[in-house]
Amino acid sequence: MHIALDPRTKLYMILVVSMVVLMTATTPFLWGVRIFMTMVPIILLFIEKKYASAIRFLIFYGLALVLTFFFLSEESSGILTAILIGYCGIVVQFMPAMITAWYCVRTTKIDEFMSAMQKMHVPDGIAISLAVVMRFFPTIKEEYGAIRDAMKMRGISFGDGNALKMVEYRMIPLLFSCVNIGDELSAAAITRGLGGNVKRTSIIELKLHLWDILLMMLFTMVLAVFVYCKYFG
Amino acid sequence: MEKQNSIIEINHVSFKYKGSTEGLLTDVNLSFHQGETVLLWGASGCGKTTILRLINGLIPHYYSGDLEGEVIVDGKNVRETELFNLAGIVGTVFQNPRSQFFSVDTDGEIVFGPENIGLPPEEISKRKDTVVSEMKIERLLNRSLFELSGGEKQKIACASVSALLPEIVLLDEPSSNLDWNAISDLRESIRKWKEEGKTILISEHRLWYVKDLVDRVLYLSEGEVKKEWNGEGFRNLSETEVAELKLRPTSLEEKYIDAFTDDMGQITSKHISEKEGAKSEDSSTRSADKEEKVILSEFCFSYDKKRSRRKLSKCIKDGNKEVCEGLQLCIPNLVLPEGKVIGVIGRNGTGKSTFLRCVCGLEKRCPGSITVSGKTYSGKDRLKLTYMVMQDVNHQLFTDSVKAEVMLSMEKEDEKRCDEILDRLGLLPFKEKHPMALSGGQKQRVAIASAIAAGAKLLLFDEPTSGLDYAHMKQVGDMLRNLAKTGSTILVSTHDPELLALCCDEVIHIESGKLVR
Repeated sequence: MHIALDPRTKLYMILVVSMVVLMTATTPFLWGVRIFMTMVPIILLFIEKKYASAIRFLIFYGLALVLTFFFLSEESSGILTAILIGYCGIVVQFMPAMITAWYCVRTTKIDEFMSAMQKMHVPDGIAISLAVVMRFFPTIKEEYGAIRDAMKMRGISFGDGNALKMVEYRMIPLLFSCVNIGDELSAAAITRGLGGNVKRTSIIELKLHLWDILLMMLFTMVLAVFVYCKYFG
Repeated sequence: MEKQNSIIEINHVSFKYKGSTEGLLTDVNLSFHQGETVLLWGASGCGKTTILRLINGLIPHYYSGDLEGEVIVDGKNVRETELFNLAGIVGTVFQNPRSQFFSVDTDGEIVFGPENIGLPPEEISKRKDTVVSEMKIERLLNRSLFELSGGEKQKIACASVSALLPEIVLLDEPSSNLDWNAISDLRESIRKWKEEGKTILISEHRLWYVKDLVDRVLYLSEGEVKKEWNGEGFRNLSETEVAELKLRPTSLEEKYIDAFTDDMGQITSKHISEKEGAKSEDSSTRSADKEEKVILSEFCFSYDKKRSRRKLSKCIKDGNKEVCEGLQLCIPNLVLPEGKVIGVIGRNGTGKSTFLRCVCGLEKRCPGSITVSGKTYSGKDRLKLTYMVMQDVNHQLFTDSVKAEVMLSMEKEDEKRCDEILDRLGLLPFKEKHPMALSGGQKQRVAIASAIAAGAKLLLFDEPTSGLDYAHMKQVGDMLRNLAKTGSTILVSTHDPELLALCCDEVIHIESGKLVR
């Protein structure tokens, strides 16, 4: 099965999930809604054959849920427990948004994204900046890999036991190479007409399919149910 | 009459970049005719790239500086024309294949330009299909750009430029990161553009692949055009004349490529293990005297995570003939002379980099071990014995001064030894400078200095001369020789036959992860 979602649907999902994530769940029913909502992008990741990240998210999220509900309570004490509570709190609260964002970034092509932005009449300036951010994720990953190798060779992966150095040794070369690449990238892009005053076109014809409409309705319902039960129920 | 034909006019142009004191170009006057192919030739920093930037409008619109005079491209004054209005007229292929992409997938990249200038979608699709079939890149479609080799990326870059149907194509050292096969493909792209009657300007250090294509050659030095030949005259230049200009020879690479291609034809029939045996016997009989050896054994590796270190090692010990099947690297045994420079050659994506990564211990799943002076290093110990100078040295400079960089590698900080090492590499005057403020070659030497400080005996270089002009390439060659004289063993992976000729004592050839020479 293959579901190619419209980037607009994905953006809508991010919006809804972010809103729900910012409201605390107070009753078991609300928790249920939240978990249900989180499962959707995980299932979508499975459908896209991104098994590794789907399983990783599932484990992290599931573990944090289990810990929160069965092992931690308000009476728990001790430093380790405190750290654990903090960790679980953050994961349970915000991971759904992260999973959804991850799904969107990994499965959207840049030109699809640009085309969706045009359809929504977002100014080119904003659309291009966001597209460049998407373009940069894999670059940062590549550069970071090379730097980590270089550190391994020098035997300074752990910064001589100094946490600050550890960050410094990673960040300085990374920043330098990202600035360089960014500079060359912009030069190459503007020689091919980026940023002109003509209306940009796109060969990608975006259309909302059945799945898009179903998912949008589903997420609208999730939001409505959550808000109703929490504030009016 | 000549005036009518010329598509690019550069009149009395002087330019210097913002922040630099010296003028880079001084009173340059050039004109290029429609349909002409011109090579810009000269050492690094001679102003080749600056001239290209004047024509594609990056100067003065993107890189600012003091610009005098005027540049007219296709009847438009570049200074008064917005960059996006030049996009359909001038196309540029840049040096670094990694950083000239806007998209992450190949299809999006090819249509990027036409989309920007607002062509109707049907027209864009038509252009895309034409370009794809003309350049024969069907198999590259619908792929992630990050998975492609340098040569493939450069092909997509050419296609992306082609899709805008520019009258003028500029190429800024396009071959720097390419192997010989990829360069031949690049030559075909240029030939096709030439047949279509486009005006082509190429700035390049490597001359052999363009010399049959060019109609005119300009030799630049210190921001001025010093010499000019027509195509015929250029092809007839003798090797001594070329050498006098301190430039790369026009024919040397071709000789090497012929030699290597023949070689590749022969090896297919022979079984690899026989070849291996022959190789180690051969080199041990040849240098049976007191010379010390570096022995590499069990250098096998697969990106498949199931093929663990132990499994690979066992396969080799059992003498399993099938062991090499499906491995990215399979070199069961290799003997190298100590204190020599050894060139590692082979096509892009054929296992050279994997080999170097395994030797220096970055790939944990490689069971390989290195024996030097009777002592065997494997696993993590390889990291201490070896040091790799990466192609992009910016990745391996971490501190805020050259001195700190060297000291970081020492187990005990020893300023005297640090000075010694820096002096040997000619870096003493830069001791307190920030490594990122140095030139490319100096950075490379800083990386080497820290390798020496760490006590590495086996130094690995990944493409140390890509994009360098002849003088700088020669410097690197001399430096490698000197390092070898002081007892280090050097493995250098390269596409640069001139470097091989200049400094390598031995050459090993890797093809599909196997040793063939």
